Amino acid sequence: MEMTEKIEETARELGARVRPQIEEAKRRASALNDSAIGYIKENPGKCLVGAIAVGFLIGKLASRRG
Amino acid sequence: METRPDSPPNGRAPAGDGTKKLGKRIEKVGHTAEQVWDRTRDSFSEMGDALDIKGRVHRHPYGTVAAAIGIGYVLGGGLFTPLTGGIVRLGLRIGLRLAVLPLLKQEVAELVEGLEDEDVTTGKGQGARRTRTRGEEP
Repeated sequence: MEMTEKIEETARELGARVRPQIEEAKRRASALNDSAIGYIKENPGKCLVGAIAVGFLIGKLASRRG
Repeated sequence: METRPDSPPNGRAPAGDGTKKLGKRIEKVGHTAEQVWDRTRDSFSEMGDALDIKGRVHRHPYGTVAAAIGIGYVLGGGLFTPLTGGIVRLGLRIGLRLAVLPLLKQEVAELVEGLEDEDVTTGKGQGARRTRTRGEEP
């Protein structure tokens, strides 16, 4: 009985400690996503050309290995 | 041998004429290049309008970038490579799992519901358990 209570308490403490960090990580990820989308929308040509170049490089590397 | 300024040696045309011709040619080349540039620009802008690239990027920013990476990958010669095979296999596995799991869940739920109904109609206990095991046997 005591063991279960201890485990529960530890889990609760761990949750209370980790939750703010998870929330912060979520907020950061959301901000990063927003800024990435904003950049792509502001510079569509640059992003598309860059993406094609990146894909081209990956394709080249893959064809060399294959 | 005597040479005069109006008739240059070796049967060549007078220097002034050559320069004029060269100038005209350069002008013509410049004009043609300008036309080519205009046409190319027009066709590119028409193509851009037809594909609606800006609109697409606004609607699906990540999707458009992913499509561009895919185009680059194909242009780079990565289409018929083991990496493509691996990506396709992984995609198929994930897709099949996503498609099959809900069906399996539904089947299991229906099976459980059927068993519960059977329990209710036959009554709980040893007899009911026997009926259930017989029903499960093929």
